[in-house]
Amino acid sequence: MSIALQCDHINKYFTEPQRFRVLNEVSFSINQGEFVSITGKSGSGKSTLLYILSTMDTDYEGALYIHEEQLSGKGQPVLAPFRNAHIGFIFQFHYLLPDFSCLRNVMIPALRAGRWGREEVEARAYEKLRLLGVEDQALKPASKISGGQQQRVAIARALINEPAIIMGDEPTGNLDSRNTAVVFDMFRKLTAEFNKTIITVTHDNDFAQRCDRIIEMVDGSIVST
Amino acid sequence: MKMGVNTEIAFTYLISRKKQTLVAALGVTFGISMFIFMNSLITGTNEYSEKAMLSATPHIRLYKDHAMSSASLLDNYLGRQTVNLIVNPQLVPDDNRIDNPEAVMQLLKRNQLITAMSSQVSANVLYSHGGVQENGNLQGVDILQQDKMFDISSTLVSGSVKALDNNPGSILIGVGLAERLNLQMGDHINITTSQGIVKSLQVAGIFKTTIKSIDNARSYCHASAVQQLLQRDRAYITDIFINIRDHHQAPAIGRQLEQLTGFTAESWQSNNETALAGQKIRNIIANSVVITILIVAGFGIYNILNMVIYEKIREIAILKATGFQGKDVIGIFIRQALFIGMIGAIAGMVFGWLISLLVSHVYIGAGNVTYLPVTFRIRHYVQGGLFGIATSFFAGYIPALRASKVDPVQIIRG
Repeated sequence: MSIALQCDHINKYFTEPQRFRVLNEVSFSINQGEFVSITGKSGSGKSTLLYILSTMDTDYEGALYIHEEQLSGKGQPVLAPFRNAHIGFIFQFHYLLPDFSCLRNVMIPALRAGRWGREEVEARAYEKLRLLGVEDQALKPASKISGGQQQRVAIARALINEPAIIMGDEPTGNLDSRNTAVVFDMFRKLTAEFNKTIITVTHDNDFAQRCDRIIEMVDGSIVST
Repeated sequence: MKMGVNTEIAFTYLISRKKQTLVAALGVTFGISMFIFMNSLITGTNEYSEKAMLSATPHIRLYKDHAMSSASLLDNYLGRQTVNLIVNPQLVPDDNRIDNPEAVMQLLKRNQLITAMSSQVSANVLYSHGGVQENGNLQGVDILQQDKMFDISSTLVSGSVKALDNNPGSILIGVGLAERLNLQMGDHINITTSQGIVKSLQVAGIFKTTIKSIDNARSYCHASAVQQLLQRDRAYITDIFINIRDHHQAPAIGRQLEQLTGFTAESWQSNNETALAGQKIRNIIANSVVITILIVAGFGIYNILNMVIYEKIREIAILKATGFQGKDVIGIFIRQALFIGMIGAIAGMVFGWLISLLVSHVYIGAGNVTYLPVTFRIRHYVQGGLFGIATSFFAGYIPALRASKVDPVQIIRG
């Protein structure tokens, strides 16, 4: 089984209001196809860690590899296209662009990547929406559908470029239990059927317990992997 | 239509905020229409006043000035063994004639830049008819050449230049003089010089230039008539009037002709310095008004884009999270600014043209100005459009740069 993501001795400091160590010698690796939860209390540094793993935050010490490509020390001009191609991100809030239709929202990252032509992107976006059961909402503005549907569209957007790794920052934090179940099943299916790697930050214990693996953090250190 | 994803996002943002887009574009429209209108009116006014100046003045006047006494004759007589100096040199009185005018004209004809030439001999005279007398200036010219230069034909209210050309004993007078002396076509007018020589000429035409000082005093006749009045020979010529292809180059070409002929050249600009200074001041006033308007329009775009970016900061963070780079974000907002600029510029060109058209139909009727002089130059419209788009670009670039520096982690995590 190949390693999807690996981090070595990651340290991070906040300098405001005073120098404070948020992450302390964090090291672990995640295999391709694993469904991993990072848990911990508020302030344990789990979200901070996730944003480093997602390559959005570059202000840290230590080494980060995704698919054996070293990403630590690289700048955003390299990381942005990498993120675009290899990482799908889901937030606690859907963060769809309200001026665009659901379909356009899903298409935008793929249009940016430019890997496929417009027709193919549209077909693939429809396919993702169908996978998530919101195909019938495709042409509505993103601001005019329900919260659960919005989060599903957001997941479709994360999947559009066929990333190997999907990261979620409390992806179900804002959903009722029925929608949470839908999203969980979706993640399950993505790992089992499509061999995607999923890393989510959550403090929903039920959700975490049903994952393949839990990484637990306390005060910036990993206490169990 | 095929367009990039940045363009598509920029367009969607603009369309979802129609009112803001419109207000920003209206700022540009206003700026550019004022730019075009101001430039058209100022150019029109300048051209009008230049035309008025050039209807009475040639581009270059060639004449012989009094010269300072020089030591060249002493050098000839005494030789160069000693340095010959003249203490307290004086201006040597001369009769100010162009020596050998035919040869000079032949020489000038070879210059490709010269479009028209006319030799002159003028005299200050007393016009008299039926006991009434008026002062004036009689110009002896080859009327056909003079007509080519100043378009006298178009100012004639009666008679023709042909009639003058055919009859050496005839004269063209101004409409003011005709009224004061009660002269009609075919009447005879007595001309008296300061030396007391009298000559009678027949009125062959009456012109009206609307410039009072000319209509009241100037008259044209054959050069031979003036030469007779002055008791001079047939080669007596005091000035050569020269028109050139581009009248803005008159001072430079004038200097060349001075070198070539040895006579003094006076350009129309040096003759009309006050009027030209007025033109310059008008240009400065108009340009400062226009620049102010464009800057205000620029601030309008800047404000609106800043507001859009403030509203969209979360969406910008998301775009960056999904793989958009700083330069993509700049691209998105610059496109918005440029689109606003383009819409504004096109509307501004149309609107500027409409204002110019409207103003060119405003009747003034002051002096010899009938309607406001307005030009319609493609150049002004192109410049206006380019200025508008450039202003929009710079007004958009600053907020766009700010947007590109948005840190997605900070925004998304709050």
